[in-house]
Amino acid sequence: MKFTHPQALAAFSHRLERLLVLRSALQLATVWFFVWGVTVLALKMAGVRSVAWLTPGLLGCLPLAVYAAAREHRRRPAAGALRANYDRLNECGGLVMAGEVADMTEWEARLPGASVPALRWHGGRTVGLLGLSLVFAATAWWLPARYTTLGARHTLEIGALVDQLQAEVRLLQQEKIVKDQKAEDFHKQLSQLKEDSSAVDPDKTWEALDHIKESDTAAAKQAAEEALAKTTSLAQAETMAQAMAQAEAAGLNETTAGQAAQNLAAMVKAAKLEDGLFSSELPPALLANLSSLSKEDLDKLMQALAANKESLAGTVGRLADHRLIDPSLLAQCRAAGQCTNPGALAEYLSSCTNGHACSLAECLRLGKGGPGGGGPPAPMTWSDGTSEQDVKFKEQVLPPATQLADAKLVGVSRAAPQLSANDADTAPGALDSAAAGGGSAQAQMILPEHRQAVRDFFKRDPQGY
Amino acid sequence: MSEATVILKPEELQPAGELARKTLEQLDHILLGRQELHRLVLIGILARGHVLLEGLPGLGKTALVRTIGQIFQLEFKRIQFTPDLMPGDVLGTHILQETGAGRRELVFQPGPVFTNILLADEINRASPKTQSAMLETMQEHCVTLLGTTRPLPEPFFVLASQNPIELEGTYPLPEAQLDRFLFRLIFDNVDTGVLEQILTERRRGELPAPTWRMERGELETLFQTMGRIHLPRPVARYIARLVSATHPGAAEATEPVNRYVSYGASPRAAIAMAESARALALIAGRPSVGFEDVKTVAAPVLNHRLILNYQARFDRLTAAKLVAELIGQLDETGLNLPKDVELASSQPEG
Repeated sequence: MKFTHPQALAAFSHRLERLLVLRSALQLATVWFFVWGVTVLALKMAGVRSVAWLTPGLLGCLPLAVYAAAREHRRRPAAGALRANYDRLNECGGLVMAGEVADMTEWEARLPGASVPALRWHGGRTVGLLGLSLVFAATAWWLPARYTTLGARHTLEIGALVDQLQAEVRLLQQEKIVKDQKAEDFHKQLSQLKEDSSAVDPDKTWEALDHIKESDTAAAKQAAEEALAKTTSLAQAETMAQAMAQAEAAGLNETTAGQAAQNLAAMVKAAKLEDGLFSSELPPALLANLSSLSKEDLDKLMQALAANKESLAGTVGRLADHRLIDPSLLAQCRAAGQCTNPGALAEYLSSCTNGHACSLAECLRLGKGGPGGGGPPAPMTWSDGTSEQDVKFKEQVLPPATQLADAKLVGVSRAAPQLSANDADTAPGALDSAAAGGGSAQAQMILPEHRQAVRDFFKRDPQGY
Repeated sequence: MSEATVILKPEELQPAGELARKTLEQLDHILLGRQELHRLVLIGILARGHVLLEGLPGLGKTALVRTIGQIFQLEFKRIQFTPDLMPGDVLGTHILQETGAGRRELVFQPGPVFTNILLADEINRASPKTQSAMLETMQEHCVTLLGTTRPLPEPFFVLASQNPIELEGTYPLPEAQLDRFLFRLIFDNVDTGVLEQILTERRRGELPAPTWRMERGELETLFQTMGRIHLPRPVARYIARLVSATHPGAAEATEPVNRYVSYGASPRAAIAMAESARALALIAGRPSVGFEDVKTVAAPVLNHRLILNYQARFDRLTAAKLVAELIGQLDETGLNLPKDVELASSQPEG
């Protein structure tokens, strides 16, 4: 289709107006979708559960488009300005502009070909904002209620922590460390915390969880320590039993055997295996005849002791797996379960011919001695202050020395000076009034932090060696 | 459609266009390599304005003026301005003469200014007193001496030249006199090809005689046609906005204008621009002025009328650069479209 200049000018005007209307409508729609989205969000945050009645509000962009069209039509460029632009863009040299005030028919042949000027709209920003507003509106519409509720209704994400605590409580319950009733209380308390925890005041939730955690940990630690003590006793008894069995095989004196059996019975009785959380199960027949055990009984006793020891080790291991006890405590338990050289003890028993095995228990308790294990452990306390006695420097005021000016000339001689009794009054020296050093030329200083250990070393029980 | 506005018809405009074309043809034939300058000088003559030619000696300023005088068959005179030149040497003076009756009376002896085309060579070498003697002649086309006003012959053009170097002993033209010049045109060196053509075709640089000369009546026809060139209202508004935007602090003044210009162009500049654009449209054979005509003449009209401050000198910014920047930024039609909407020309449809 070929345009004449008036037609091209009219088409240019219409295209420009349409473009401006579209641009304005998109801008208004962008604002409308943002407002609509904010309204939806505000209502959701205010607690309005159903906002479906706001859906028709989306259609509000239609009247806005009509308004945009009316506004742009009202604000459309003046005809003269459009004509001038058309003239300029088509390089008409003012002939089209002159056509506004005069008849230019005779000049039409001199005009360049009619063409509608191109309109370029860099609408990326406008379209982008519209897309953003649509995404915002959709997000506001589909956003789950839990994200739109205010902080008062937010729950803490403590599910994993509660699950872990419940598993710990179940373990303690299974191991009989915690009573069933208390375990049930813990379970109820944890379930309640999971439901009622609030983000407004999370301290209460964390305090409750900490309390349960501390209770679990304390119970587990107490159980582990008891297991450690019993494992130690079981290991000693097992060592004794193994030594007796080996000594009997090598020919044990009856008197010594009797004393050893008594010691074994005393050790088992002192261990109080039937008391506490982990009541060890030893065959009653063996317990009744600990003083007169046959070789078969000793074997059964050793098996029973080993089985109890393994049971305790398993329990402690499971506690450690749930991180209820410190790994070092687990290591102590495992170390305590090792029998300490029953062969040496058996040899000793064999060497005792007239009943000197009374201190067997002490031997077992104190260990083998030697450079690495000698002496009782020295307590290390960190709460009390360190004494500064004999360590802090004490200032002492020295007497003034005699001034050289006060010296007296007693004579000049080439020979040794001869002093009369009157001339021998010497002035006191600077160290004359200083305190003596305790009579020792070389004082060994013991630092305060070592003092208690040294003191304990020298307080050792003389019966130990 | 306005009843009072009558646009030239093609057959009315065609003779004037033909005269302008022939004039330019003669100028381009006689003086080589300065087509654009010839066009601007012709625009200045058609707009009845004075032209200030600025360039080094030997570039053909005098030859151009002499050739114009020959083509238009107008009286041509030249004044070599020197510091001791007096106003009487330019305007004329009264001489005591004895009449036939034996009486003695003062008789006015017209100066060289009484001509059609006056070449004021090295005008900036004259004293301010002599320069100011030119003010009335350039604006009013008359000379007033001893209370008697004598009109200058019409048409009257001043084509002045000034040397941009050897400024010692010169008196820069005051702004009031600069404003009276329609254009300030810069004479540049011709390129090598043109110089070679001059050497081979022009013995001793002698100019060929014009093969065609314009009659006095034809010149009058040219002026009358020029007066009927239509200036559309949007173009007039564009000129007004352009001149207004040269003033610092104006609504449409650009940032460089606000920063570097002390005083903008006068209303005389707007009138000069409109007349120059009309002349350009006439030369192009159009009965109305377009925006491109204004853009073409804007720089020579404005570049000597903008008074720049010292900051511009420090930053080596010229008025021509400022005008070019202003034309680039100012929307011709003031359509005020949104920034993201752009208009562009397109290929003809159909």
